[in-house]
Amino acid sequence: MASADKPINTDVPEKDVFTLHFLQSLSNLRRQNTFNSPEKTNDRVKKIKKAAYVSMARAAGGTNRLWSRALLRRAAKENSKVVRFPRRKKRVTCLRRRRSNRRDPVEEEEAERLRNLVPGGGGMETSKLMEETAHYIKCLSMQVKVMQCLVDGLAPK
Amino acid sequence: MMMMNGEATEAELFLNCADMSVLERQRAQLNYHHLPGFFSNSSTINGGEIDDGFLASAGLDLPEIYGEVHGDARISVSPGNITNESGNSKKRKFGCVDTETKVFNEKKKMMMMDREVEVEEEEEKSKITEQSTKSIMKMKNKAKKEQNSCSNDSSKVTKDSQRTDYIHVRARRGQATDSHSIAERARREKISERMKFLQDLVPGCEKITGKAGMLDEIINYVQSLQRQVEFLSMKLATVSPRLDFNIDDIFAKEVVSAPMMNLPNSVMPPHMMVNSGYPHDMVNSGYVHFNPMQQVVTSSDPLACFNNGQSATMWDSDVQNLYSSLGV
Repeated sequence: MASADKPINTDVPEKDVFTLHFLQSLSNLRRQNTFNSPEKTNDRVKKIKKAAYVSMARAAGGTNRLWSRALLRRAAKENSKVVRFPRRKKRVTCLRRRRSNRRDPVEEEEAERLRNLVPGGGGMETSKLMEETAHYIKCLSMQVKVMQCLVDGLAPK
Repeated sequence: MMMMNGEATEAELFLNCADMSVLERQRAQLNYHHLPGFFSNSSTINGGEIDDGFLASAGLDLPEIYGEVHGDARISVSPGNITNESGNSKKRKFGCVDTETKVFNEKKKMMMMDREVEVEEEEEKSKITEQSTKSIMKMKNKAKKEQNSCSNDSSKVTKDSQRTDYIHVRARRGQATDSHSIAERARREKISERMKFLQDLVPGCEKITGKAGMLDEIINYVQSLQRQVEFLSMKLATVSPRLDFNIDDIFAKEVVSAPMMNLPNSVMPPHMMVNSGYPHDMVNSGYVHFNPMQQVVTSSDPLACFNNGQSATMWDSDVQNLYSSLGV
């Protein structure tokens, strides 16, 4: 509510952090025996995609960002594993009570679509959502670059 | 729920104006005409003295609440405002009466929060004249709140003030000093600031000025990025069964052997190369100690290297656990 806000922090780690995380998850995948059979391409695709997102979430700041927490939690739920996160200072549930304060129906339609796209967007206020979107965009573009480089590097000559 | 009789009922009727017919409304108004200094619809009220006298006679020495008519104005009622606003009570201008009438008319078109009205009504059932008019003033103020938005804080505060005193806060004309509206304005500024930030991020958005168009662009961009990730993962999936995929194992092996501190330095130049559009160089030079692809070692050795405990020392154990537990 104060006019003096902290500057928006959307620093994203360098490309090598993303690369390392992604490569590690890929090699973990490789270690699975069923991974390399040529028939099940769809499974592989899904697994790689999931690996990409999870490694991105991890590289981008792990549990310090709302969207990465949501992403990791979602991935863990798919595996029916419960991943414990360290408690943050501000509880996300507090924001839910203030949902009534978010008005302006025109803006809310768009914000709704954005919330569906960005992981963890459901519990955020609109301003927080924007911050998370900015960081998410940066991380996504970084991840895309990493994957592009990998694909290019591995492409048949 | 109309369980009250007497003039309190009229007040109730009066306030649920949105459902009432014109006739009922006029009847309610007529019943209150005899009350001094009450009725503002006929802008006959001298905004200054009568209200003061009225309140003074009621034993209260509080300034009035006149809310703004504009869409985002709100009224805050808080005990802390008494001392501030009592100094402003003398600044009451006649113009405030006009706002009051306007607000009054606005309120007629709105739904009220019946619950609070009833609570007030029941409490004031015993003291009819002064109290009911005061409650009507209060309810009018509450109507202004309804006009804008319901927030739990304001309702709670009014309930408190209802039990203790009637706290009226004067708002300046053309500006809302309400804490809620100030918060609302601050929030809007925050959002616009972030929109500008996002505009810098998303390429090709300089021309778009509206918030809606901007949000559309952002959504499209996020969707396109996600689609790109999917597409690239498909490509990787087709590529991965090949032997060349062992590159990552070799890379990991080299990473393990090299201390972490060297990594940023070694990988830094490739970024500049990538920026100038040479992805192949990045792949090659990023893997610093790495042989070119044609000289890839056979699969068994690097895999073995990577699988033993070396990797655990390299990475955080929880990172390892996380990736293995998530199955990626």
